[in-house]
Amino acid sequence: METFINPKSLFHLLLLPCLLLYSSIAYNSSPVEAAMHTNNWAVLVCTSRFWFNYRHMANTLSLYRTVKRLGIPDERIILMLADDMACNTRNKYPAQVFNNENHRLNLYGDNVEVDYRGYEVTVENFLRVLTGRHETAVPRSKRLLSDEGSHILLYMTGHGGDEFLKFQDSEELQSHDLADAVKQMKEKHRFKELLIMVDTCQAATLFNQLQSPGVLAIGSSMKGENSYSHHLDSDVGVSVVDRFTYYTLAFFERLNIYDNASLSSLFSSYNPSLLMSTAYYRKDLYKRRLEEVPVTNFFGSVMETIHTDAAYKALSRRNSGRFEDEMSLDQSVHHIKRRMLIKVNDGDEIHDINPELLQGEEGASKCPWSTFRNKFQKAENVDSLLNYGLVAMIPLLVISTWLVQ
Amino acid sequence: MAETKEKSLSDEKPKPRVRPIVRLGIFLISHSFLVSIVCCTAGVLALFLLPVLAKNTYISENALMPGSASPMLSNQHVSDGNRLVKDLTNPNSKSSETGIESHKIIAQYMLDLGAEVSFHKFHPQMNQFHPLHFFSSPVSGKIQENYSCSSYGINTVGIIRAPRGDGKEAIVLVTPYNALKSGFGEALSLGIAYSVFSLLTQVTWLAKDIIWLVADSQYGEYAAVAAWLREYQTPKFSSLSTPNAEMCPDVNNLFELKGHSISGSKFSNSFRRAGTMAAALVLKVRDQNEQFEDTISIYAEASNGQMPNLDLINVVNYLAVHRQGLRVNVEKLWPLLNSSWLKSLGEIFESLAKVAKSLYPKWKFGIPATEYVEGTATLASSLYYQALGVPTGPHGAFRDYQVDAITLEISPKFSLDKVWRNDILLRGGRLIEGVIRSVNNLLEKFHQSFFLYLLTSPSKFVSVGVYMIAFALLIAPLPMVAASLYVDANSSSNCSKGDSSTPSAITDTDEHGIAIRSWRWLNSAKLVFIVHLWGAIVSLLPYFISQIPDCSPTTSFMIWVLLSILSLLTLNSVLASPLACAKATQEKEWALVKSVTISSVFIGLGLMSVINFATAEIGALLMVPMCLLARPLKLDVRAGTLRSFCRLICNLVLGHIAFPPAAFFLLKGMLDGFGNANVGDFWMWVESLWAWNSATYLFIGMVQLPCWVLCVSILFHTC
Repeated sequence: METFINPKSLFHLLLLPCLLLYSSIAYNSSPVEAAMHTNNWAVLVCTSRFWFNYRHMANTLSLYRTVKRLGIPDERIILMLADDMACNTRNKYPAQVFNNENHRLNLYGDNVEVDYRGYEVTVENFLRVLTGRHETAVPRSKRLLSDEGSHILLYMTGHGGDEFLKFQDSEELQSHDLADAVKQMKEKHRFKELLIMVDTCQAATLFNQLQSPGVLAIGSSMKGENSYSHHLDSDVGVSVVDRFTYYTLAFFERLNIYDNASLSSLFSSYNPSLLMSTAYYRKDLYKRRLEEVPVTNFFGSVMETIHTDAAYKALSRRNSGRFEDEMSLDQSVHHIKRRMLIKVNDGDEIHDINPELLQGEEGASKCPWSTFRNKFQKAENVDSLLNYGLVAMIPLLVISTWLVQ
Repeated sequence: MAETKEKSLSDEKPKPRVRPIVRLGIFLISHSFLVSIVCCTAGVLALFLLPVLAKNTYISENALMPGSASPMLSNQHVSDGNRLVKDLTNPNSKSSETGIESHKIIAQYMLDLGAEVSFHKFHPQMNQFHPLHFFSSPVSGKIQENYSCSSYGINTVGIIRAPRGDGKEAIVLVTPYNALKSGFGEALSLGIAYSVFSLLTQVTWLAKDIIWLVADSQYGEYAAVAAWLREYQTPKFSSLSTPNAEMCPDVNNLFELKGHSISGSKFSNSFRRAGTMAAALVLKVRDQNEQFEDTISIYAEASNGQMPNLDLINVVNYLAVHRQGLRVNVEKLWPLLNSSWLKSLGEIFESLAKVAKSLYPKWKFGIPATEYVEGTATLASSLYYQALGVPTGPHGAFRDYQVDAITLEISPKFSLDKVWRNDILLRGGRLIEGVIRSVNNLLEKFHQSFFLYLLTSPSKFVSVGVYMIAFALLIAPLPMVAASLYVDANSSSNCSKGDSSTPSAITDTDEHGIAIRSWRWLNSAKLVFIVHLWGAIVSLLPYFISQIPDCSPTTSFMIWVLLSILSLLTLNSVLASPLACAKATQEKEWALVKSVTISSVFIGLGLMSVINFATAEIGALLMVPMCLLARPLKLDVRAGTLRSFCRLICNLVLGHIAFPPAAFFLLKGMLDGFGNANVGDFWMWVESLWAWNSATYLFIGMVQLPCWVLCVSILFHTC
């Protein structure tokens, strides 16, 4: 027997649970379980200047109007316009911008807050807005103050190409830059979910480098395709809106804040023959099913109201934390088991999320033990059971060897 | 070690390894005859292929967006324009002997629209030959030299300020108008301009100021526009010019009268300016109407073959054809249209293209024979007017200040009844409005499209990258033939002298001899230099001849020829008669002279192709065959073979054609018929060339004429 188990191996066996404990604490200290959709932001960017790019500004302003109508307040919209078409001397209608030749709707009405205008719209500023690395003097209204519960809509329009988007006729945003910025945002918990919508030529190529989870991207055209303008306003003398944006707006015009249209219904509304390009969406990083996500999750500010038992949820969480600290060492083994199960649960909820599970997740964050019990009762996951059994054998083994000696 | 190794290597390989490019050069030089034939044929063929290779024009600048805005010119504006036409053609307004009345009418009309108005008085500046400022820009100081109060012109200038613009840029609309004997066409062009002007005072979309210049064309359209531009671009800060204006009372009178009659208005006595000019349009309406369709002719060539940006022509062409239904014309050489050989050439190309297409369906380069003939005629005229270096209209004055400008000449369809007049006012006005709106959209200077191109039709062009190939092929053999001649001349004299001694045993004296022989080309170079010097003198002579008062062109020409011959003889005798002494020393001297001549021609053509491509191309067509074929007639006569006889004939014919006056008369005869050719015409032509500061004049005087003299001297070389 002595030859069978030596103290060294025993030490190793003891070390393993400690490592597991440490890693599980490190993982769970990130507040994934708190990532609940709590607010909406929109970053709307028109990257091109010059009069003949009137339509890009009209696109952006139309989107601005739509998201505002659907409930995102002005302080949560970062509007970047690279040029001032409304006051361009060539504009036949001074201080007005239209996205339709019927001129029924002036997009540049009373209540437009442009956060970045003209030459302020640069790649640098754009990346600063996304990553939140501003100079100290930048006012709050020009910052994207999102958190881990934010749904962000990032809309960009301008002239693009293979894996780049032109800014201001002088610089480019590359797909790597965008992916890097999104990654930084993810690491800084600046969003829960991010919808990137791009209306440029070869827009799909801009998403190639994205890796961060929770990002959904839709572009107006595939690689090698152009995005075309929808129609020309012969009165103003320029094209006033792009096709992709036009049909997006057409979709939203039918909606109000209470509608429950899903993202998939938006995405399927694009008709390639009308767009003259193929709308492309990338959803491999996005885990929720598009049929179940209302468009107002991004384009509006509609989120579920969750009824909680405790008035001060934060307090209860702190208590549970203290409880964990107070656990004695001999209890730690059981604690490890619990932690592991929680971890497994976390993995599950990333895989398939639906509103019911969201509720469950909320419960889990409040009381891990009850979730564990629920899980156990339901016997949903055989693997977790197996794992549990294996780990439970460790103390048994330790005790038995100790008894034998 | 390394040295010994190298030595052993070099011993193994008696011939040092020659770099491929050197070997290629040696190969080409040794086969220069074949190369020159192939290259020259290819060059001429490429020139004739240009209409086939022409590409369709396209609007390169995104900002222009021609035709995207619907025209706003309405019948109201047309009737305004009509009113002005009526007032101007009214016999009462013509009663005044100076035509001041009509200027007043125009100014009054402009003022009524709310535009800033000013008169610009100018003294016509005679075009004179100033050898010292040949390429320099016109100097404002020159105006004050000599003028009288009786001869002056008045430009009426109206300026609309863009209501929200920054006033940094302007678009110029020019209508030449002769108040003394204006035809109906001129009045109509004013009517069109006025209707556009009245529209532009109302619109909100102006980003650039609009300048309407009514140029007083009694001393020529160009002179008036050029005088105004000079004043505009070179502001005078000194008070030197002001007393001159006061010397002529009637002008002041006019100004004062205007000032009094319209007090408190935007009339000003001083010269008014707007921003830098983005583009300029010169509008004319032709009086006679022989066309069966409303056509609009575009004239674009400015001095020294400079062209406005192709985008400007594209915009006009697009708007005229696709929006206003006008037919657009560019100049053609009409005699070429009926030439049967061109037609058959076109048919050959067409059938070749068909064969190519049947072989490989993606090859689509053929154009119909009729289109080919038209394209060639247009291309030829494009080449001709660029080569001439004389602007084809008042737009040329703008090009001197790097402003893109074209002249539009509307040739209306039929008689002058009311409905038709309104129609042409409406369509012409909308065309001008469209072009102005398009240019108004522009953010920068015209720069996207081509500046160096030849047109083969209003919607087809040959860019510099294509047409340079023809020229490059044509002049490519020159350096090779020069090198081969030089090598031949040296080696032949080598052999004749040193066949007794083997090359391995070179003595000191031989080396010395080679050194002398290898410098022998300097003798020929001296000759070539002297002839070019003579060319420069000949080019300067007309300046002195033109100082002789009361001289008819014919006598001037005769004096010029006599003086030229005299100066050649003088130079020849003063500088030790190189022609005579050369032949005494070397029997192959002519080959060296030819070699150096060809080199100098190559340099001259190369330089000229940078200044004015078309001149260089036409010059190369004339000079390259002559230079390559030149050979002493005596040798050919002595040889007596068929080949030498052919060469003799070619040499004689080319020797005649390439003489500049002969070439001129030949060209003139082909274009206008030989009936009315006059010796004085050449003088007039040359006068016009130097008056317009055309580099072609310098080319003829300093490249072509010396080349011809040298070639003739080779032909008559006594060897």
